[in-house]
Amino acid sequence: MSWELVTGFETHIELSTKTKIFCNCATEFGGEPNTHCCPVCIGLPGALPKLNKNVVIYAIKAGLATNCKIRNISKMDRKNYVYPDLPKAYQISQYDKPLCEDGYITLSSGKKIHIARIHIEEDAGKLVHQRGNTYIDYNRGGVPLIEIVSQPDIRSIEEAVEYIEKLRLIMKYIGVSDVKMQEGSLRCDVNISVRRKGEEKFGTRTEIKNMNSISFIAKAMEYEFNRQVEILESGGTIEQETRRYNSDLNITESMRGKEDADDYRYFREPDLVTISITNEEIENIRKELPELPHEKIRKFIEEYGLPQADAELLVKYKKISEYFEEACKDTRSYKTTANFILGQIFRRLPTDAEKEEANIPVPPQYLSELVALTEAKKITSNMARNTLEKMLDTGKPVGELLSEKDLEGIDEGTLRRICEKAVEMNEAAVNDYLNGKKKAFGAIIGYVMRETKGKADAVLAEKILQELISTK
Amino acid sequence: MVTRDDVLKIAKLAKLSVEDEEIDALTKDMIEIIEFANAINNAVEDAELEDFDDINSVVNAFHEDEVVESFDRELILKNRDGGEDGYFLVKNRLTR
Amino acid sequence: MSRIKYLNHLLATKQISCVELTEKYLKEIEKENKTLNAYVKVTDEAALDTAKKVDEKISKGEPLMPLEGIPMTLKDNISTKDIETTCCSKILEGYVPIYDATVWEILKSQNAVLLGKTNMDEFAMGSSCETSYFGGALNPHDTSHVAGGSSGGVASAVGGNIAVYGLGSDTGGSIRQPASFCGLVGLKPTYGAVSRYGLIAYASSFDQIGPIASSVEDAAIVYDAISLYDEKDATSCGSRYKAYDVLANSIKGMKIGIVKEYFEGIRDDIKASIEEAAKVYEELGAEMVYFNIPELKYALPVYYILACAEASSNLGRYDGIRYGYRTSNYRDINDMICKTRSEGFGREVKRRIMLGTYVLSAGYYDAYYKKAQKLRGAILKAFKNAFRKCDVILAPTVPTTAFELNFTAKDPVETYLTDICTVPVNIAGLPAVSIPCGFDSEGLPIGMQLIGDSFREDKILNAAYQYEQCTADRIYKKLEIGVRL
Repeated sequence: MSWELVTGFETHIELSTKTKIFCNCATEFGGEPNTHCCPVCIGLPGALPKLNKNVVIYAIKAGLATNCKIRNISKMDRKNYVYPDLPKAYQISQYDKPLCEDGYITLSSGKKIHIARIHIEEDAGKLVHQRGNTYIDYNRGGVPLIEIVSQPDIRSIEEAVEYIEKLRLIMKYIGVSDVKMQEGSLRCDVNISVRRKGEEKFGTRTEIKNMNSISFIAKAMEYEFNRQVEILESGGTIEQETRRYNSDLNITESMRGKEDADDYRYFREPDLVTISITNEEIENIRKELPELPHEKIRKFIEEYGLPQADAELLVKYKKISEYFEEACKDTRSYKTTANFILGQIFRRLPTDAEKEEANIPVPPQYLSELVALTEAKKITSNMARNTLEKMLDTGKPVGELLSEKDLEGIDEGTLRRICEKAVEMNEAAVNDYLNGKKKAFGAIIGYVMRETKGKADAVLAEKILQELISTK
Repeated sequence: MVTRDDVLKIAKLAKLSVEDEEIDALTKDMIEIIEFANAINNAVEDAELEDFDDINSVVNAFHEDEVVESFDRELILKNRDGGEDGYFLVKNRLTR
Repeated sequence: MSRIKYLNHLLATKQISCVELTEKYLKEIEKENKTLNAYVKVTDEAALDTAKKVDEKISKGEPLMPLEGIPMTLKDNISTKDIETTCCSKILEGYVPIYDATVWEILKSQNAVLLGKTNMDEFAMGSSCETSYFGGALNPHDTSHVAGGSSGGVASAVGGNIAVYGLGSDTGGSIRQPASFCGLVGLKPTYGAVSRYGLIAYASSFDQIGPIASSVEDAAIVYDAISLYDEKDATSCGSRYKAYDVLANSIKGMKIGIVKEYFEGIRDDIKASIEEAAKVYEELGAEMVYFNIPELKYALPVYYILACAEASSNLGRYDGIRYGYRTSNYRDINDMICKTRSEGFGREVKRRIMLGTYVLSAGYYDAYYKKAQKLRGAILKAFKNAFRKCDVILAPTVPTTAFELNFTAKDPVETYLTDICTVPVNIAGLPAVSIPCGFDSEGLPIGMQLIGDSFREDKILNAAYQYEQCTADRIYKKLEIGVRL
């Protein structure tokens, strides 16, 4: 009996606006507790919210980048519940008229994961439990969030991972969030249920809240899938509940002790007014959208002739793709440039985080110069590799590392003479080679490379040497 | 009709603890108040009527995305005697 | 007749210094407040500091702003930086705001002399001032009767001559009813005309701040000063027409609406008083227009459902964590929150929170909240139609005169029913002013209401002023208490 995994995500993304959603306090991450607060975001009696214009614009960008329809008339609602990190005892969010609806993300398989809605809301403060007490910091209170709700279209952990990664990359590219999961600017609630393959009805689902690591999401999903299958196969039923992923034990646990399902008593936020956006304004925002990841990948493959894997790898890190495009600005040497980046430069940035930061000591223009010399055959690929290493070490441009003479290259005549000399000076090796010891060739060509200080075109040198030796 | 159980449920939702002695009086009050509110049941809804939305015509009131200096932490914590290490503190249990 | 202008004149012509004037008021407060219980906090030091500043200006020969140096008061739900603000509730005991309400910022910039914060029904929920944690404010005309609510303290202070004017708040009648009970002028502006930033919220889409004063002129001066657009309040628009300059305009040809529903269930002597007023208007050249607004039948339940729903949400924040009262014995945080609220809130507040929570809760939302919202829209539409037929509507303010003390109704609903004439304009967001129009057999003031279309405070104050000019001796009684100048 085959079981099918059914999953949907509710993803909360912190927007990278300068100010909070309802007041002008800074949204900066970190900072001493309660130093980014004002009467509005700590909910003092009498303080009133006012909506940040950029929050609406960023949310529309997110909606357009995921093929959503944008609502012309929208409003804010109160979601009422009591928790110490929520100073007003209600969260200002959107209930029945979210800004964006009915979008999708396309996976590499061509399958669409549909997005039901994207709405804007405020984040809550942070609770710290210590020494049997609760400490509250409201810096994060009021930071703007978009909540992206997907349909339960996902059928495998691979699809889930791809969905989150694609979503994350899109948000990064359109510049609405730094989507740093470890800092909490992207968090996921995973809704997961199982059913027998072929069954149309959905099974009872559980929710695993507040996941901020893709590998944990994958592990949690795997555990939960197996847990649910086991229960159902032994004749039990799944309880609809909220669970928490325990990374130490690699299990999901019921969040016991939680109050009965909250009745949020949604009603329209009376302190805020209608949001009215014209189609023209939406179009203007659409025009301002940068190239999206999938568009860039297609361009790299179709226009620049890069292999798919290379294109995807370059696009995976926004700053890397920017670096690449800057380096290729005045040339068409896409492949060569890409190879340098994906090879030697990437070796200098071993972790994902380092590739995200892309602190490359060589500005793209310098790489561009190096590539140009390589393409013009003024330097050999060997030399180019060595020079790049030196550039990465010193941060100096090609001009400072290679002299005029170095760049001259070896013309064929000179190379021929050196090869003749090599054959002359390495009689023993030549004889060994002619007697079948293929390895001896290395000594002869090594001589040529030394004499030319590595500038010789190895392929041409080999050809000439073979010619000379064969006449012996 | 509003029952005692309804009252307890609503009180819980509203984060009010009702003493046993109070529940009956409160239930009686609630029954009357809800009865008073029930008068709208008789109102015929005009099917044409849109959902009431705005009481005045103000639309699109936004603040610009420019940082304004936050309040001093001292002021934020002023009503809690400066807080504890910069945080609002709630001891998880307090008995005298 | 305008006390503000009179005092402004005395100050400008140096017939009295601001410090002397302020000291007079403070002395009288000390004497009369013991009886009236109008003030819950007297801010004598701050008042005298401001008075000194004003005197300096006068000595330098600088001209005075309209409200400069005038001793006044604020209802205790208006946030005043560094001055305790409690909404007369135990749960805000000791709460000191760290910012000023916008209306107070405006008046501060005019060097208004704040004598203190005045009494109110707890969180503005009540019609007698008696739900106040500090006990009710008394009616200066007869201290065996209440001053009214919820802005009872302001009305008591102004009526008792221990403040020249005050700012109250009106959600379902809380400025107009106490003004009516105490023989004063009370104006509730159009929703959005006056900033709510800093007003501790009861019902966000109903609340408005407005003046209570002893003449229409004074109410107009204060209204013009405070009805400014405030960028901190998203629902704010400011006024559209200034009122003071048009007060003296002739009202010949003005159409005055008499709406049948407003006169049902009203005491006979009050009805008679309004009918008298209608005759005065006819003599002034106005034209009476008679019609019905049947939608008004549902105004009271619509008001209570929606206002209490918003209130239940607005009052959720009072949990003892960041400010105010916190219970001293609890098992865990949830217990702390519940106990704090139960110990901190009074009975009426709890009832309204319960009602509000109920009408928003799953299973009841559609039948109550949603339906009430639709009816609100219907009432709004009905008023819009009404103002195509007339310029202002004339109506009673309250079905009775001031209640006796300890007005413990048989049931809470009985008190709610007395709001019948005042709540409709809060539902529709319209401006309305209450002015005195006579006295009952016990000598208690009777009030009448002039209701206008959105942002037509100018028209209703114009109509009020014209009536006042012909009847001043009949409708005002200068009481022999407080500051007499």
